[in-house]
Amino acid sequence: MVKSEVYKSKKRRQLIVHIILHIVLVLCSLVFVFPFLWMLFTALKTPAELLRGIQQFFPTVPQWQNFVKAITSIPFFMYLKNSLIVVILVVIGTTFSATTAAYAFARLNWKGRDKWFVIMLATMMLPIQVILIPTYILYSKIGWLGTRLPLIVPAFFGGGAAFYIFLLRQFFKGIPKELSESAIIDGANHWQIFIKIMLPLSKPAIVTVALFTFMGSWNDYFGPLIFLSNPDHWTLALGLRAFQTQYGGQYNLMMAASILIMMPTLILFFLAQRTFIEGIKFTGIKG
Amino acid sequence: MSKSSSIKKLKKQENFIGYLFASPWITGLILLGIFPILMSLFISFTNYNMISDPKFIGFENYRILFTNDNLFWQSLGNTVYHVIIAVPLGIVVGLSLAFLLNNKIKGMGIYRTLFYLPNVVSVVAMSLLWLWLYQPNFGLINQLLKPLYDLLKMEPITWYLDPKLSKLTLILMGLWTAGGSMVIYLAQMQDIPVSLYEAAEMDGAGWFKKATLITLPLMTPSIFFNFIMGLIGSFQVFTMAYIMTSGGPSRSTYYYAYYLFDKMMADKAMGMASAMAWILLFIVLIITILALRLNKYVFYLGDET
Repeated sequence: MVKSEVYKSKKRRQLIVHIILHIVLVLCSLVFVFPFLWMLFTALKTPAELLRGIQQFFPTVPQWQNFVKAITSIPFFMYLKNSLIVVILVVIGTTFSATTAAYAFARLNWKGRDKWFVIMLATMMLPIQVILIPTYILYSKIGWLGTRLPLIVPAFFGGGAAFYIFLLRQFFKGIPKELSESAIIDGANHWQIFIKIMLPLSKPAIVTVALFTFMGSWNDYFGPLIFLSNPDHWTLALGLRAFQTQYGGQYNLMMAASILIMMPTLILFFLAQRTFIEGIKFTGIKG
Repeated sequence: MSKSSSIKKLKKQENFIGYLFASPWITGLILLGIFPILMSLFISFTNYNMISDPKFIGFENYRILFTNDNLFWQSLGNTVYHVIIAVPLGIVVGLSLAFLLNNKIKGMGIYRTLFYLPNVVSVVAMSLLWLWLYQPNFGLINQLLKPLYDLLKMEPITWYLDPKLSKLTLILMGLWTAGGSMVIYLAQMQDIPVSLYEAAEMDGAGWFKKATLITLPLMTPSIFFNFIMGLIGSFQVFTMAYIMTSGGPSRSTYYYAYYLFDKMMADKAMGMASAMAWILLFIVLIITILALRLNKYVFYLGDET
């Protein structure tokens, strides 16, 4: 009897704690999510409505044509095409160079392997400016400045892939050695093992790498800013900046353009959020 | 005899195949990593504008920066200010969010997704969004704070337009992405064995004791990781300032990486810019080494078994 009373009060206390917790969490969620909603409301307002601030919380009549205006006032589809060219090639290049290097680190014995591994981890800590200036000079000497090549070619040679190599190496190490050993007995070589056993079994890790690379490349601003001097090659990130300098005060159009640019990453994130969060956990904890 | 020689042959073969698989990455590392690093050290001792040949001038670039360049010190000061506030604040906020979510509550996954969301947005789009949120007259933040301003009879804060507050404005905006480190903290928190907490509860430990005596010590690896990564990232802060404030007002957000960018792209002073890059590398390196010394206080679960 007394015991059940204690139990009951404990349960009640727990319930209250949970309710408070949920209230705090909802408030936090608002801080993180509301800016997105405000962005959308802003994008759908008229200039006059913007000046009324929160008195005009929602647009009276959603101005969907703001999106059309945003697209047509810049060469949007050209920027989109440029972004896609760079992003797709960077994803292919990074996935290629990261998986091959990870296989070498995880499954093969070669001289100096562990030393190279330490060097790889060290490169993650370098400020990029140290590398940027000489490569900029190098690209200008071989005539690559003003082309997309400085953004694309390094991806095929493991540029910026240290994290991914690390992640894939851990994943490859988790695949039972017996599988590749029996394949060797059957006469398979390492390339066949890599293609037919390791890659298919590592799909989740490879998808994670491809996703992160996509996001990083799509959102990259600094690289294109340095290397894409020709406006015909500008990516969406650069185009958005150009839009800002041109239409700076027109926040409704600016928000419409920003929404369009963040759409692909937001959609990808929602579709693959599990993969994503697992990937971050992995690099963070094991790193 | 023939067996051992065939094993040797196999080993040699594997050595070759290993290098073959690693070759794209190693080629990149040498041509686009190691070689440029050495080059930039050399360039930092020269006067080079990419038109005429580099002229060797010894430590002159470093001497000018240290003794005769106010902007160098101002931009470094701005950056140090940013780092000192942004990095600890980011850790505190990330950890707090993780503590909030580390309860057995319904919808934890949904909250986690929502908290993480700002991390998938590009810095450019994020900067434009916050430019609008911070907008002094019609922006959401000042509109929400208006009752408070009226109550205190004070002038509205002008955020990025106020030289005294501009850096803090950018730092606060940066906290919007605290969900990124939160995910890492949370994952490690959930790896802590329940038995530890149960034992502590038996000894009568409350929430606070459990958090400070069990959770936090066991979180030190991920705190350390986020500290180092935050440090390196914050020392290179650039894009937000470039988009939102153009380094202003009164150069209050003119960060080190911004000055370096101008030296490189606007002035084409490659020698000077390389010297700045090397100074940055040294600063980051020294702090990392100091931090690694703290590593002995980092507690790795499983080490003690």
